[in-house]
Amino acid sequence: MRHRLALGAYLAAVVAATMIHDPLVLAIWLAAVLALAGRDLPHVLKRAVLSVLLFTGIVSVSYLALSLLEDRFSGRTLLLLNLRVLLLSSMTFLFARKADLFEAFGFSRSLRFLLVLVYGQTLLFRRLIRETREAFASRSIGRPGLLARYRRSAATGALLYEKSIRNAAESGQAMRSRGLFVD
Amino acid sequence: MHVPDGFITPKLYLPAYAVSAGLWGIALRRFRARLDEETLPRLAATTALAFVLMAIALPLPGGTSAHATGIALLALLFGVWSSFLAISLVLLLQAVLFGEGGITSLPVNALAMGLLGTSVAVLSFRLLRRIGEPVALFAAGWLALNVSAAATALVLGVQPAIARSAEGTPLFFPFGPEVVLPAVLIPHALLGVGEGLLTLFAYRIAKRVENR
Repeated sequence: MRHRLALGAYLAAVVAATMIHDPLVLAIWLAAVLALAGRDLPHVLKRAVLSVLLFTGIVSVSYLALSLLEDRFSGRTLLLLNLRVLLLSSMTFLFARKADLFEAFGFSRSLRFLLVLVYGQTLLFRRLIRETREAFASRSIGRPGLLARYRRSAATGALLYEKSIRNAAESGQAMRSRGLFVD
Repeated sequence: MHVPDGFITPKLYLPAYAVSAGLWGIALRRFRARLDEETLPRLAATTALAFVLMAIALPLPGGTSAHATGIALLALLFGVWSSFLAISLVLLLQAVLFGEGGITSLPVNALAMGLLGTSVAVLSFRLLRRIGEPVALFAAGWLALNVSAAATALVLGVQPAIARSAEGTPLFFPFGPEVVLPAVLIPHALLGVGEGLLTLFAYRIAKRVENR
């Protein structure tokens, strides 16, 4: 129940943050979120900044350049955009850190099953990608050509497809054997 | 192309959620009738596949790389509605676990990539198949990526017009479509080449696996 309440609070906070257009209020809110993070502050802040840095950085620099050229620069606008994005990102990582996502979506049995299955499968697939990448590198003398790298990417995609079909069948059989699907 | 949180006004993302929710309902209904030991794990595996396909780096000339989306590949292998559900779940997990994309941009990303992109992939493949399967596969990949990127760019581009302060300054995203569209479409035209090639090679390998 606690995790579902956290999910509800998080979603409400996200919507509220997009309805506030005062940089000072957003800055205070951000400070409060970071204070709430407690010992997780370095983790939450680092992940929040890194996740938005590229896109927001490009938007900010482009806005700065274009608006100065057109003589319509607004520091308030730049501050508002960046504060909101950082606030939303921080709230997301704080929620992910403090709440159990699978418990939070426990209001729907099927959705929770799905998320658990997906997460488990994803971890397996990510390891598989890493292993195929390392295998390819270890079997290549010098830097492989563009076409070879594409073939490798495509073969990895197809391997994952085959794995996904087989894993789906295995998961289904495992679930049936544990009584999750009763005829 | 993932839009992070904070760049889309609630005037747009809240109705987008309403539309998406209706479409998720349709997609789930098609599944629920058959939601059993076969379809639930299959959807999970498809979603996981979508998740990791987006992690595959596509090498680009010049030594750089970009990430694939796998939209066309998923659509051609699993169909539009399954792919729409899978991609939506991926976007949710990416938003909450990894901070990629975001909760407010999720419905826009889901509609652009998961529905529009997959539909374009399937339609273009069916139309161009008569010319030749390799052309159809490549085109499906290229078009799925670029059409969904164009849709996302348009959504971003209208933000200054629909969400402004009393002084006329933008509240969410500061550029109009005349800036965003070329900024997004030019690099995606190049990325689409990689996506097309991935779709072509991976689809053929997957079909060989299925026919074994």
